[in-house]
Amino acid sequence: MKVSVFGCELSGLVTAGLLAHTGNEVMSLPVGNLKVEDLQQGILPREEPGLDQLIKSQYQEGRLSFESDWQAGIMHGDVYILSMPSWRADRAEKVIEEIGKTARKDVVVVNQSTFPVGTADRFQASIKLAFAERGLVAKAAVVSMPEFISEGSAINDFSKPSRVILGGSDKEAIRLLRDLMRPFNHVTDQVKIMSTRAAEYTKYAVNALLATRISLVNELANNAEHYNIDIEEVRQGLGSDSRIGFSYLFPGCGFGGPNFAADVEALVGSFQSKGYDADLLKVVLQNNEIQKEVLFRKAWRFFKNDLRGLKIGIWGLSFKPNTATVDNAPSVKTIEALIAQGAEVVAYDPKAGPAFSEYWGDRFGVTLVDDMYDALEDVDALMVLTEWRRFWSPDYDRMTEVMKRPVVFDGRNIYEHSVMAAHGFRYFAIGRGEVI
Amino acid sequence: MGVEQSPAWQALQVHCDSGMGSAHLSALFEDTSRTEKFSLELDDLYVDFSKNRISEQTLEHLINLAEQQKLPAAIQALLTGEKVNDTEDRPALHTALRAHGYDVTGEAAKVQPDVEQALQKMAVMAEKIRSKHWRGYSGKPITDVVNIGVGGSDLGPLMITHSLQTIDSPVNLHFISSIDGTQTSNLLKSLKQETTLFILASKSFTTIDTLSNAETAKDWLQECIEDDAVIYAQHFIGVSTKPDKMTEWGIPPENQLLFWDWVGGRYSLWSAIGLPIALKIGMKRFRELLQGAHIMDQHFATAPLAQNIPVVLGLIDVWNVNFLNIHDKAILPYDARLKYIPSYLEQLVMESNGKSVARSGEKVAYRTCPILWGEVGPNAQHAFYQLLHQGTQAVMCDFIAPVERDDIEEGSQSERNESLRHQHELAMANCFAQSRVLMLGDDAIPESLKSAFDSPFKHYPGNQPSNTILMKTISPKTLGMLIALYEHKTYVEGVIWEINPFDQWGVELGKLIAKEAYSAIKEPALAEGFDSSTKALIDRVAK
Repeated sequence: MKVSVFGCELSGLVTAGLLAHTGNEVMSLPVGNLKVEDLQQGILPREEPGLDQLIKSQYQEGRLSFESDWQAGIMHGDVYILSMPSWRADRAEKVIEEIGKTARKDVVVVNQSTFPVGTADRFQASIKLAFAERGLVAKAAVVSMPEFISEGSAINDFSKPSRVILGGSDKEAIRLLRDLMRPFNHVTDQVKIMSTRAAEYTKYAVNALLATRISLVNELANNAEHYNIDIEEVRQGLGSDSRIGFSYLFPGCGFGGPNFAADVEALVGSFQSKGYDADLLKVVLQNNEIQKEVLFRKAWRFFKNDLRGLKIGIWGLSFKPNTATVDNAPSVKTIEALIAQGAEVVAYDPKAGPAFSEYWGDRFGVTLVDDMYDALEDVDALMVLTEWRRFWSPDYDRMTEVMKRPVVFDGRNIYEHSVMAAHGFRYFAIGRGEVI
Repeated sequence: MGVEQSPAWQALQVHCDSGMGSAHLSALFEDTSRTEKFSLELDDLYVDFSKNRISEQTLEHLINLAEQQKLPAAIQALLTGEKVNDTEDRPALHTALRAHGYDVTGEAAKVQPDVEQALQKMAVMAEKIRSKHWRGYSGKPITDVVNIGVGGSDLGPLMITHSLQTIDSPVNLHFISSIDGTQTSNLLKSLKQETTLFILASKSFTTIDTLSNAETAKDWLQECIEDDAVIYAQHFIGVSTKPDKMTEWGIPPENQLLFWDWVGGRYSLWSAIGLPIALKIGMKRFRELLQGAHIMDQHFATAPLAQNIPVVLGLIDVWNVNFLNIHDKAILPYDARLKYIPSYLEQLVMESNGKSVARSGEKVAYRTCPILWGEVGPNAQHAFYQLLHQGTQAVMCDFIAPVERDDIEEGSQSERNESLRHQHELAMANCFAQSRVLMLGDDAIPESLKSAFDSPFKHYPGNQPSNTILMKTISPKTLGMLIALYEHKTYVEGVIWEINPFDQWGVELGKLIAKEAYSAIKEPALAEGFDSSTKALIDRVAK
């Protein structure tokens, strides 16, 4: 099949690469500032495990091409896929306008982006109107196919989806898309067909539910501490309940990332624009913001409300492991808070150093180092903010040797209290460890 | 010899007796150029005083009076920091608080380094709180700031922050002033210890009202916080002229903001007492407030008496009080944001000039400060305007209104904008209608409706004088100008009446007797020395 993918952010590139991989002729078209030349040379806007190789191989094999001219994309595709960040609906709008003005046959548009409920219907009506004005007799179908990929596991998430949601009523379009997604839907049929609006709403609802779950677990953890309960034991008890399950049940120092919270916020906003409120979701988001400073608060209390002149080591800046992104990451809030109190920060992250540097700019107070143990040199405490694999089993003796004070604040609960205590650490975590 | 026997005063009396005293505004307005003659404009402020029972001769006589009373020298004395507060042997240098970066002389110049240093310390604190980096004991950022202060330590910040309510504030501000525990106990129910910060604002740091509320606040914090040092370090800021007293109470030096004994309490919003204002609007806009006041200070210092707005308005008040026998003044803002302006001015004007002994120590033989009160105009129309229109009392009025609302976006047609614009225009229409009717009385009735008003109960005598002060918008700058205008006008009146507007001995005795009464409430035997009425009252409360 010939496919044109508009948008070269993470989801656009993963979609284009994997559809090319399964034999389609895919044209990938940037709609923002990305340059075709860069993409052709394999310079990608985001770091993502496996994506580099995928794009390179598909480009070399000739099934994937990059093109800046939208016209070429409109001429090329049997299917157009819109894949833009949730805050760039304006760009999608322009593509739709262009399709309406210049397409010459029936069109099937798939919207993967997280746009407000009703967008797909609006786009479809807009193309139909443009066709009618031009006197073009052709069909136009806009189908919503929300993406459920996560940074760090995007390729796997797309190629082995737990479900593929297709929102639309045009039978031919649905048949076409079922076929396009067939290679990823081989073992058991994971396709769920529903109305476009329900598909759009489902995407928001999934994020809302997951965010609520995390915030609730965090609240349970924060309070468990005061009863000397280890939340890890409680988590086992909770997760083994088949009605609850284990996923998204880890307490921690808050969720971040460019999309997750933004999507929930957008949902809150859409409720409010209709004159209703989203009381629960607002608290969920607010709690998460407060949770991002949980380690700062523990340190604040541990050091008796005075952090001036202290040196704090930080492991992990990215909002989650295997990504180079610091958007809305707990590290950002935590470091801002530490610096504002007059502390000094030495931080290590396997990938997110450059992104953090860009955020921090030329302000003082933060040093980034290339070795995780260098971030412990002479520090008064260590904060673990991201659960990168390499942090799970560190050399404890080396740690205590270089740290000025063996104090660890663990925002991801990756250590055992008894082990840490045996090595001489003061250990504070989320819902476990020492109480402060 | 009192001013009432002076030539200029006598000349005014003659001028009044020979016709001006009985002139009706309706007749005076037959001169169509009147408004041009009797209005002044300065920057974003327009002042129309044409609806006063004055003529050009009246103003000339009043200027003569001002010159005779050496007003120009008195203005210089105030601004350069001479000891104009003679009963307390110190200057009244509130103008120096807003003069930083400008050319000033005398004491006003000498205090500049201290003033600027205090402003900078205040800026650092304000920024820390506004950026959510001032932390409570648990490490959460402060979200609520409670100003505990009374009089000048309350009304100024309360009035300004309320006036600027359309500016979004990163923290919630609350004000506690009254000595009874009601405000405090109600407020604390809705706040959390970990995110609440108290400002203790007291010039002397001995004010019982403030300290008793502060103790209640401290008790409340102690419910959650074991370590008192943490309470003082993270949950209290002190603003006072007395650092040693603040330290004694427990406030660490880094949480102390200072001002000086040469700043009168009712003139102190420009100092660190303005911290709540800086928290609400940010330090940059706080400096715009100071700048606005400075514009008025410069005008007051340099404009010829006849074009000097505070001078002219002050002299007209003197004319109204001493020659037309008008002893009441109503302050009528036509915008609910200015709700606290009347209370603020009640203190500024009546605590300054509510006196009957001249600087000489002699009792004065003439009226001084009028009774001043007020309310948001449109609300007052449904309350006491009846008395203004048909009562037996002569009352002079100050109408205060913004020309525009700056929270209406230019060119925007949104519903909210349209309703704001519409309601603003309605309010202005009411403002202008009221001053017109107060002035003209029956003569304001359109010819076609005259018959409908043909009843003794529908008779409007009119001839109530008023000023109208229009601000371009309600902004930090225009508020600074407006408040400085009233400060200086108050001083002008004090100079004419030969009284010291900067002391307030009248409030001292009550404080002293309150202590005795308190002892008597706790120990009824001590009530024996009281009069029978007071004793009976104490008995009813004593346990």
